[in-house]
Amino acid sequence: MSKIRISVLILAAVLIFLSSVFIGPRIISPFDLSATDREILFSIRLPRVVVAALVGMALGASGAVLQGVLRNPLADPYILGISSGASLTAAFGLLSGIYFFGRFTIPVTAFIGASAVSVIVGVLGMKRGKLWPERLLLAGIGLSFLFHAALILLMSVSTDEGLRRAVLWMYGDISLADWSMIPSGLAVIAAGLAVCISRAKALNVLILGDEFSHSLGFSVNRERLLLFISIALMTSASVSLGGIIGFIGLLMPHIARFSIGADSRVLIPVSAIGGGAFLCLADLIGRIIMPPMEIPSGIVTAIIGSPYFLYLLRRKDVLSI
Amino acid sequence: MSSAYNPSIIEIDNVSFKYFKDRELINNLTFSAGNGEFIGLLGANGSGKSTILKLAGGILKPSGGYIKLWGKPLGAYGNKDRAKLLCYLPQLLDINVPFKVRELVGMGLYPYDIPPQMTVDEAIDAVGLNEKSESYVTNLSGGERRRVFIAMTLLQGAGLLLLDEPLANLDIKFQVELLKLLKELRSRKNISIIMALHDINIALKFEKVMLIKEGRILGIGSPGSVLTKAMLKEAFDVNIEIKKSDTGTYISYENNF
Repeated sequence: MSKIRISVLILAAVLIFLSSVFIGPRIISPFDLSATDREILFSIRLPRVVVAALVGMALGASGAVLQGVLRNPLADPYILGISSGASLTAAFGLLSGIYFFGRFTIPVTAFIGASAVSVIVGVLGMKRGKLWPERLLLAGIGLSFLFHAALILLMSVSTDEGLRRAVLWMYGDISLADWSMIPSGLAVIAAGLAVCISRAKALNVLILGDEFSHSLGFSVNRERLLLFISIALMTSASVSLGGIIGFIGLLMPHIARFSIGADSRVLIPVSAIGGGAFLCLADLIGRIIMPPMEIPSGIVTAIIGSPYFLYLLRRKDVLSI
Repeated sequence: MSSAYNPSIIEIDNVSFKYFKDRELINNLTFSAGNGEFIGLLGANGSGKSTILKLAGGILKPSGGYIKLWGKPLGAYGNKDRAKLLCYLPQLLDINVPFKVRELVGMGLYPYDIPPQMTVDEAIDAVGLNEKSESYVTNLSGGERRRVFIAMTLLQGAGLLLLDEPLANLDIKFQVELLKLLKELRSRKNISIIMALHDINIALKFEKVMLIKEGRILGIGSPGSVLTKAMLKEAFDVNIEIKKSDTGTYISYENNF
């Protein structure tokens, strides 16, 4: 049963990916490419769709892992403060006016911020050499408030147009994507995915509880730390590539669990593929719904995602991790 | 003499334990469990039953004394190797995750690179849940869930089971079924079981019981020698009468309520 569902999902994901590449304000026929089509396809469409797929995959997978690690169905990769830290450093990077990294200023400063916050949250989440889920969660929430406040303060005292752009970008716009950031983003996300997929059994037992994990031969501290690192890698890279895109990290693992069950060995890849497909679809809708205007994909995911999530919420066993 | 034929699986020698900066919960505890032994652990709430099982399972580290598993210090085992020899089943199975019965039972194979002889189906069969193997654990009754976890521990194949109140929250029917199942497994596979329990009437049916108070052993041995009126008064601070009838020994609560 779940094999059929997984096959359907993969097929749908491929279809969505291809549609996103060829459909837009200008519909491109793959069989009859003009020079302009080629330019649009390879310089604009393809990098954008690849970024959407990567960001969606990273968010879907890291959400599934985080909900398991924290044993909390409401966890979202952004809850750890990684994204708000990234926004803050990106805003600082722009406001300083130095543009150290040229056009990579936003993604690079965002990644630096995200990684730094991951380390800070990790350290705050530790006590007596152990990573405690509740501490991790509360440290993340506490830091998020702090970073948000600092970001608002920065915005309120700044007249910089660049800062406004940075903040908008942070809130989920992948229209400026180009090939330059993709290789490094891909590498970091692939590393994160590889770590969490290889630790999927450990995630299964951590969901049952620390005592089960120990009894079944897992080192609770080591596994939790590895999984946290994978979340930090994927979230940092996704924020850096595509800003903050709501709901995929929270929603996709629930949808995946609902359709194929809770076994992390299947759940993580399915959440990743579902997340990638969903963000491609949201981006496609954002592009074609009222051209030439584009709706940022972060807004589309929330507009489609929220009602669906609320519908799922009405059904009984969805809110379990 | 008997130890030559019945080697200790686990030896707990002079073990003490306290949480960080707290008072000692376990004081100089010494006991051992031999191959095929089925020991009931009894004591009032907070007497240290769970702590003893967690120490024996290596989940908590003793602050003094040592624990040996098959003659080797418990801490010297790697995680996977230890998991093949002993299994701890916690009291609270607060699982709200939609794992299927088959998936959950299958986790018992996680310590193994090469699966042991028993299959997931056989483990599910052993606890009588064949019909539910594709069901979600979240949709099962408390008794069925307990059996799912027992099946997981069977598949894990450890020779020593440490069960923390496995009978808690079970109807009398499931309690009886689970005890029968454990006894049968014990005799079929010669595994050793140490099990915390609450019901003195059930403890009276055990071959060996251990009575705990404030982290110390009040008595260990046959129920007849340990579960006496005076000892139970000492352990639980209630007056309990031990009575005998044609069908066996049972307790009466006198005029406590």
